Amino acid sequence: MKPDERELDDEIRGHLAVSVQERIERGDSPEAARLAALREFGYIPAARDSMRRVWYSRWFGLAEALAQDIRVGFRSLLRAKGMAATVVMTLALGIGANAAIFSVVRSVLLSPLVNRDEARLIYIRQSAPGLGADNLTFSVPEIADLKAGVRTITAFGDFSTVDFTLTGLGDARMVKAGVVSGSFFEVMGLRPVLGRLLSTEDDGLRAAGAAVLTHRFWASALDSDPSVIGKTIGLGTSTATVVGVLEPSVPYPADTELIANIVSSPHHLGATMITGRTHRMTELFGRLAPDATLEQARAELGTVYAGMVSAHPGSYSATAGMLLTATPLRDQIARPARTILLLLLAAAGIVFVIACSNVANLILARSVRREGELAVRAALGASAGALRRTLLAESLVLCGAGAVLGVLLARPLVSVVAGFAARFSVRALDVTVDTSVLWVGAGLAMVAAIALAYVPRLPSQTQTGNGLVSAGARLTSGTNRRLRVFATMQIALSFVMLAGAGMLVATLLALQTASTGYDMRRVLALDVPAPRVDSSTKTVEFYQEVIRRVGQLPGVDGVAVGSFVPWRDAGSFGPGVSFAFEGYVPAGGEENPRARLRMISPAFFDVVGVPLLAGRAFTDDDRRDREPVVIVSQSVAQRMFPNGEALNRKMWWTDPYFGKPLPRRIVGVVADVDDENVVRGPAFAVYHPFQQMGVAGRVFVRAAGDPYALVAPVRRVVRELSPDQPVERPATLEDVRATILTPERLNAFVISGFAGVALLIAVVGVAGVLAFGVSARTREFGVRLAIGATPRSLLMSVLSEGLAIVAIGIGAGIAGGYACAGIAASYVAGLELPGMLPVVAAAAVLATAAVVASLMPAARASRVDVLQALRSE
Amino acid sequence: MAKTRDDQRLELLQGTLDMLILRTLQWGPQHGHGIGQAIRAQSDDLLKVETGSLYPAMHRLEKRGWLKSEWGVSEANQRAKFYQLTAAGKAQLLRERDRWSQLVGAIGRIMNPAGSE
Repeated sequence: MKPDERELDDEIRGHLAVSVQERIERGDSPEAARLAALREFGYIPAARDSMRRVWYSRWFGLAEALAQDIRVGFRSLLRAKGMAATVVMTLALGIGANAAIFSVVRSVLLSPLVNRDEARLIYIRQSAPGLGADNLTFSVPEIADLKAGVRTITAFGDFSTVDFTLTGLGDARMVKAGVVSGSFFEVMGLRPVLGRLLSTEDDGLRAAGAAVLTHRFWASALDSDPSVIGKTIGLGTSTATVVGVLEPSVPYPADTELIANIVSSPHHLGATMITGRTHRMTELFGRLAPDATLEQARAELGTVYAGMVSAHPGSYSATAGMLLTATPLRDQIARPARTILLLLLAAAGIVFVIACSNVANLILARSVRREGELAVRAALGASAGALRRTLLAESLVLCGAGAVLGVLLARPLVSVVAGFAARFSVRALDVTVDTSVLWVGAGLAMVAAIALAYVPRLPSQTQTGNGLVSAGARLTSGTNRRLRVFATMQIALSFVMLAGAGMLVATLLALQTASTGYDMRRVLALDVPAPRVDSSTKTVEFYQEVIRRVGQLPGVDGVAVGSFVPWRDAGSFGPGVSFAFEGYVPAGGEENPRARLRMISPAFFDVVGVPLLAGRAFTDDDRRDREPVVIVSQSVAQRMFPNGEALNRKMWWTDPYFGKPLPRRIVGVVADVDDENVVRGPAFAVYHPFQQMGVAGRVFVRAAGDPYALVAPVRRVVRELSPDQPVERPATLEDVRATILTPERLNAFVISGFAGVALLIAVVGVAGVLAFGVSARTREFGVRLAIGATPRSLLMSVLSEGLAIVAIGIGAGIAGGYACAGIAASYVAGLELPGMLPVVAAAAVLATAAVVASLMPAARASRVDVLQALRSE
Repeated sequence: MAKTRDDQRLELLQGTLDMLILRTLQWGPQHGHGIGQAIRAQSDDLLKVETGSLYPAMHRLEKRGWLKSEWGVSEANQRAKFYQLTAAGKAQLLRERDRWSQLVGAIGRIMNPAGSE
């Protein structure tokens, strides 16, 4: 129906052919006939165009005109290569960073999980804000209560994280494992890729040990070997059969390598686990009933929980302020990465705005230079729309090139950002580059292009005469003001970025240089989990033998065992255990104090370099059959006996886990060390001789020389003692802390990177505005020099212009930054404002950079050649 | 001599080209050149339709559904696009002819009032 382009041509050709033929038949020569026919027809493109206009809409014509403009724009930009390259690079940085970060944000925070019907999966969290415990997890009796009372959740899945010594699959080693009841996989909605998953038939004390491997572990550690199914593996003291491999999915709650049934963990079969209401080590998942909403489930959970709390007041301390919260599983998984990703997105957004405003300046400057051209076109009858279209075409070319480069840049950036985000959420491990990068890049480029096309002012009808007369660049005050506004905006935004980065760096430096109370460099910590022996006496003997043999190695200054590697094991013992002491009378409603419980061998404090303040250290004689003794930290001693001597007084644990309270004599007081938090806080700790409390698991070696040189000998010695014994994660305390601080370091690094880019763009922007101002005012400077101004005064006047932009920018940055932070603080918990130092430092850096950037244009202003300047028009 | 003919040529009244095309096609399918020639011949060379107006007009009529087109071969054995009236086109021609007669009558009454000659 609608004729295509070729059909229109054919019709015209047909017409001409008929017309020529007729003329020839009338006796004309073919040549004359052809010319006459053409003459009669008139201007073919015009006819063709008006025919086409019958069929095709107005937009088609506009698009074609725009395409034409784009060709022209492309050519005219080729003549301004420097400016075009700057614009494209700047935009590419802005677009690339945004596209990369957005695609990570999308995969980590927004995209659904692979779990069946994942929107109905929820994670239930018990927290105790009063104790600073973010996630207490649940005990078996609590889970039973919730299961019995809640109807809006059809099924619960439970998961306890356990570290197993895995044997039977290559070298003995520690693995992160989960212990689950049979309902877990059904609730999570996951399928096996091989074999089967665990089901309710694997529950109960009589079931055979069974384990499912996670896909990542199977693929990476076992090379996707299908013959693994049916193999018997050792998990600590139990054995289990590998029954299946899980489909690729986000391994929550931990970076788990295998998941076993309850019977695989002897601990889970013990009375403490089954009846201890405060023995919390299980995470809880739920699947919403088909007709229930999350809100209903929350309300019902709240009611049931309130019932639990009032039925067992002893297990839910009032000061702990315990809470039950339910969140979609997807949000729970992304939670740790959420703040940092949003921060990154904001930083990238700011860089984009800075980049755009810088580009706007360049384009504005360019449009001033070509005012003459635009004025001529306006005078020749080009409509305002047509002029705007020319500008749009140019900015489309620039932004398109920027977007292409930006998307290319985004691809490697995505993996960098994903690696960064993986420190916070396991989901980031699976981030891949997808088409969203493209869409975001193209979208941003379009926004930028359209915004930029509207930045320059068109020559108005009244001004055309003016534009036609002067050929050179002339800066109107309006344009000049716009240039300055953009430059000021860039300074303000880079200031906010710099101050933020400064804050992160300051925090990091404070953390890295803070005194910890430990001897950080000489102490090597290793995980040596309890061996597969059947009695605690044998465990103690094993560790004593380890201490003896390692102590004999050359280069070893001391050996101790402990239960807790500072910071690395943070959180693994819960939020502290309640205790009481001689003469302690709780005031009305007050609860027993809490302290961290640690098990150590006699030489521990010597080895890690923590000074004993009073009393004695443990000795080999503090055995199970002797008087129970403890060493307390200074804070505990002061808390218990503010006015007196803590030595030789008694304390006892009051947590039901310990059964009947057993008084223990305080034989020593040590200096405070905070092994839970990298930001040093109060350190309430009570140390036991490991011979009296059992389980150690960590070995500390004090080295005379290079600590890492001892790793191999220590491992060899331990393996001689027990061939299947894992010896893992050797690290000096300094490196342990550095690893824990990695996210902080990465944050500081990435945000500083953004701030650096922002600073660079902003400084180039200020320099550009000043340079343009100087070149447009050459004549003015010439006149001023001619009537007696000194070059120095011109230099100072340009410099002070630069400083004015910076000062106003910093002022706006401080005001705007604090205002935005105030708004952001209500959405992001734990947002900190930078202190004085980073703010002052950021201002100083910006001011210095701006002075340096202003020097070049200022120098040029002072060197203006009077004669040439006056002659230039 | 050609020049004189050109001078005598009349401008088409606005809106009458469509009617002339429809009228010409009443005799049967015709290609664009043929339509132009027919209008010229039947007006004794007084009306000459510019090709630049003729083709857009035919396309406009086709788009409205008053004409339909078909590729064919001309008497001179050339490939050409032939237009023909549709039923709607025939109805439109009748309407336009009525309007035209009314217009001519009205203008005639103004230009030549009864009894003025």
